[in-house]
Amino acid sequence: MTDSTALDPPRSDADGTGGSTNGTGRPSTAGAGFDLGALFRRSTTPRPPVYGQHHFVTIGVFLVAVALIAPEIAQSRSDQFLVNLWLVYCITGIGFYWVFGLAGKFAFCQTFMMALGGFTSAYLTRPDGPNQPFLVGVAGAIAVTCVIALLLGLSVRRAQHFYFAIATLALESIGHTVFKEWTDFTGPNGTTVGVPPAKIGGTEFLQESEVFRLFLGALAIVLVLAALIERSPLRREAVAARDNLLVANVAGVRADRHQLTLLVLGSGLGGLSGALIAHWNGVIGIDSFGIDLAIGIFLMLLLGGSGSMWGPVLGAAFYVAVPDLLSGIERYSAMVYGLVLLVVVIAMPEGLVGAVRKGSGVVLRLVDQARGRPGTTAVPAVAVAGAGGGATAAGDGAGDPVGTGNGAGPAEAGPAQGGGDGAAG
Amino acid sequence: MEKFVALTASGIAFGAVLAIVALGFLVLYKATGVINFAHGDLVTLGAYIAVWAIKEHGLPTVLGYVVALVAMFGIGVLVERIAHAPLRRRPHMVVVIATLAAAIAIRGAVSVWQGSEPKSLPSPVGDEVVHILGAVVAYQRLLIIGVSALAVVGLIALFQRTAFGRQVRALAADPDTARLHGVRARSIAMVAFGMSATLAALAGILIAPLSAVDLNFGFNLMVLAFAAAVIGGFGSLEGVVAGSLVIGLTQQLVGGYVFPAYASTLPFVLLFLMIVVRPTGLVELERTRL
Repeated sequence: MTDSTALDPPRSDADGTGGSTNGTGRPSTAGAGFDLGALFRRSTTPRPPVYGQHHFVTIGVFLVAVALIAPEIAQSRSDQFLVNLWLVYCITGIGFYWVFGLAGKFAFCQTFMMALGGFTSAYLTRPDGPNQPFLVGVAGAIAVTCVIALLLGLSVRRAQHFYFAIATLALESIGHTVFKEWTDFTGPNGTTVGVPPAKIGGTEFLQESEVFRLFLGALAIVLVLAALIERSPLRREAVAARDNLLVANVAGVRADRHQLTLLVLGSGLGGLSGALIAHWNGVIGIDSFGIDLAIGIFLMLLLGGSGSMWGPVLGAAFYVAVPDLLSGIERYSAMVYGLVLLVVVIAMPEGLVGAVRKGSGVVLRLVDQARGRPGTTAVPAVAVAGAGGGATAAGDGAGDPVGTGNGAGPAEAGPAQGGGDGAAG
Repeated sequence: MEKFVALTASGIAFGAVLAIVALGFLVLYKATGVINFAHGDLVTLGAYIAVWAIKEHGLPTVLGYVVALVAMFGIGVLVERIAHAPLRRRPHMVVVIATLAAAIAIRGAVSVWQGSEPKSLPSPVGDEVVHILGAVVAYQRLLIIGVSALAVVGLIALFQRTAFGRQVRALAADPDTARLHGVRARSIAMVAFGMSATLAALAGILIAPLSAVDLNFGFNLMVLAFAAAVIGGFGSLEGVVAGSLVIGLTQQLVGGYVFPAYASTLPFVLLFLMIVVRPTGLVELERTRL
């Protein structure tokens, strides 16, 4: 760990300001109001630069903002439904971010994992069956999906890229038929009805507003987990292995193990979100986990940006909002998704998060140019705060399977950092 | 015996259609190195264009088919212009994602244009059947087998005997060297996208009269064709044809005799086991391009 910190660039480079600091020698005053971490850092050993991205602060701000704003915006029941759908898609999206974004595995089986989790939890909590409490059902769902993902990962561990993709497509198709035919486990025609609502202790989560609190709590736990992974060596080494497997292996990165870990954890999140959906809707049917949703999850991650844990959060919001925004012409939504995705892939390879990062980089550069002029002192603080909040994972320009080599402006230091990451492992 | 003949006939016919689908994306893969996830939706689109030309515009069946094939060549070139040309210098992963985006867009466009109700496509041979060894076999299946055989022979001849085929093979073997030798990679990419889309439409038109056309129609075929391509050793035309027949026959025979409920999963189980045992396919790939 100390080795890696020694290799990494100084802290200020890691929060997305690297491109503008390099060479220009931005004075410390520009970031003085923002760099609270420095106060704590001085007394301890040097911290890894990734800690400077303030993940937990960002998560806290995000959760508080959602908790305060969402109920205000979403007054009607259908809007509340959409918000809850967004939260639950965020969970599965973050899981898929680990699998696809970090491990670089082209997996089509996230919807299968969701369905598996949903059916498992529905089965475990069935009143005329095992009749377990909600939390046991959810834990069972996560456990079962993790085990299945582990078996999947172990059995196709030698398959690369395209072969992995079609192996997971195959699993998805097999799962679809099995869920449909194995009616003892799922129910007639692959649908379980009468799933009991979520209940923790004495509290039942029936109304949309109650479900909102439950889902926000679940998302909070997931986000904290995601942040822990975001700042862990696991992420760094997985990204190194994804971008150049050979070099990473030579450097001693245990790529197989990392990819397996991320696949298992990501699938577990899929199972969690599936279970939440089942208890929320009271019914779970295999037909709602078809190829449309599989592509939809891809869309969430790619739109939002596959280089950051906030990508799927943004992308899921977009995915949920589009049919609502196009009310009256919802039937165009699939076309809009496709075209928007095309535009994103061509014009913004790092997704919305990447675009935000790029934008904040441009702002920072302008600020740098304007530096020294009196009267602009307030601007840097705002701009830097924007960069810190929006660009939580900046500095990994090499950290995006979509946009490798096309690093956004502020991530000019990215490739260098990516190289450092590889060597550090 | 009758059951066996009938199942074999439908197995071969289904395998033949899969072979056309698989050859379609293989042509593209050979020429450009792109795995096109929009291929399945091009199959769907081709079938829908035929339905549109015949049912809504009253064209004779065969003429409607030709219209669909020609239109799909143009659409293939269009897809190349939109989803491939701007991304030429990007990593292959990006292009693959762009094809996925094209797939979503095509699917969305079809659902807006034709709705999500299943449609049926008339066949030039109608519902006529022929009796072979006491078994009833639809003429359409024989037509599928005949047309597919012609298409496969034609493709192999194209690849082995023409300048275009030689250039595509050169690109598949070593894109950089091929370009240095003056192979026009860009125009070949456009033609390959067009050909690939035409083959997709051909497959869609052939199989559609036997079932209904809906939005997921092509995607499922494409996944099965992936399976066929993997089993046949990704890259060789003959291997892909063999793999397709294996898949078609397994699904029909084993499914028909042993467990009908799970018949549709058999190819996938086969595919999955295949990837577990031989993660690089039956025939080793010389180079991975994805």
